[in-house]
Amino acid sequence: MSDRLTSLHEAIEKVLPDLDGVLALKSGPGGIVSPYLFSKEHPEELAKLAIWPKEPVPDTLKIILRAHPDAKLAIVCRGCEERGIVEMFKHAQLGLDNLTLIGLQCEKDEAEFCRCAKPFTVHAKTIVGQPIEGVADPLTEQVSALSQPEKLAFWKQEFEHCIKCYGCRNICPQCFCNICALEDEKWVETGRLPMAKPSMYHLVRAMHMTAKCVACRECEETCPADIPMAVHFRLIARDVKEMFNYETGADMEQKPPQLLVLEEGEYDRTGLPH
Amino acid sequence: MMHEPKIIGFLCNWCSYRGADSAGMARLKYPPNIKIIRVPCSGRISPELVLRTFREGADAVMVLGCHIGDCHYSTGNHRTAKRMPVLKKLLEYTGIESERLYINWVSAAEGEKFATVIKDFTEKISALPPFVETMK
Repeated sequence: MSDRLTSLHEAIEKVLPDLDGVLALKSGPGGIVSPYLFSKEHPEELAKLAIWPKEPVPDTLKIILRAHPDAKLAIVCRGCEERGIVEMFKHAQLGLDNLTLIGLQCEKDEAEFCRCAKPFTVHAKTIVGQPIEGVADPLTEQVSALSQPEKLAFWKQEFEHCIKCYGCRNICPQCFCNICALEDEKWVETGRLPMAKPSMYHLVRAMHMTAKCVACRECEETCPADIPMAVHFRLIARDVKEMFNYETGADMEQKPPQLLVLEEGEYDRTGLPH
Repeated sequence: MMHEPKIIGFLCNWCSYRGADSAGMARLKYPPNIKIIRVPCSGRISPELVLRTFREGADAVMVLGCHIGDCHYSTGNHRTAKRMPVLKKLLEYTGIESERLYINWVSAAEGEKFATVIKDFTEKISALPPFVETMK
């Protein structure tokens, strides 16, 4: 862990003089880690550089770039955060021209904590740490192996815990719509807990995460009720891969499937009648 | 146990609704369980709309549109073909029978197909328990 921190420190020091800032994690008072914009005016602050726990850095990047669109920045990103940035770029949320990616490779214990299938970066030119293989996701396998009534019971119980804090939506790097369907009273009832069944909130959110979820699991991390909603997203991501041959964050050029018309052979894979 | 299912059918104005019309013209019989809602295009049917229909107590939802390539708006039904299979999968992962959501293509001339589709689907849904009860 400390080896990676040292090499990350070196990598940042190398690029910092040519840039307006480097977005990374800094440990603050009380050991609380949060995203921080390191600048060349204060290189001594790099002593407080941190790498774990992971925080939603792409979101912070978006906020900075909205205020300063021409800023030349670098960002320290893990595999999931890089995927988040790529998908935000595809949906025109940020530009990549003035952005340098510093890819931080996750270690085995971190990947296991996140049940991450892709704990490595693919687009970043500068790489810190050794890329490792993805780990299995026991919870998703466990849930998808349940019978239909068991699944229904499982999700009913999980969704009943929801206090509708909207934390999962707020922290999601892919939730950037100005008008959110989850705030629309037509779809999600207000003033009622637990929500009416089936839970529109979670199902609508799962649908909106189709071909968008980058599997960073920030939503599960932030959820005060510990709802494993990323299980849904992961299962759907598999179907999207199968039907539309699309993987989030993998290919910079490939457009998200829901923005396009059907392509040759795609219809046959959807399982719809002829 | 058999019951009288409540089925909501979203029919596209240009093909399937006309198809239902021609089924009526030809005096074909089909079960009265389906309540038809006419929409401009099957691409109008968002996942939210389908889920809300279920929340309001429907046992099943049908989305019928023009055949791929025949859409009045050229690619409207491509959207249906892209989002509805995913929604079906999501229902399955949540433990809701995915056959409660049905997607098919019926053209204006296919009155007979319309009647058959409704008949077969109603039979299939009658065999399932009422949706509201499974949600209790």
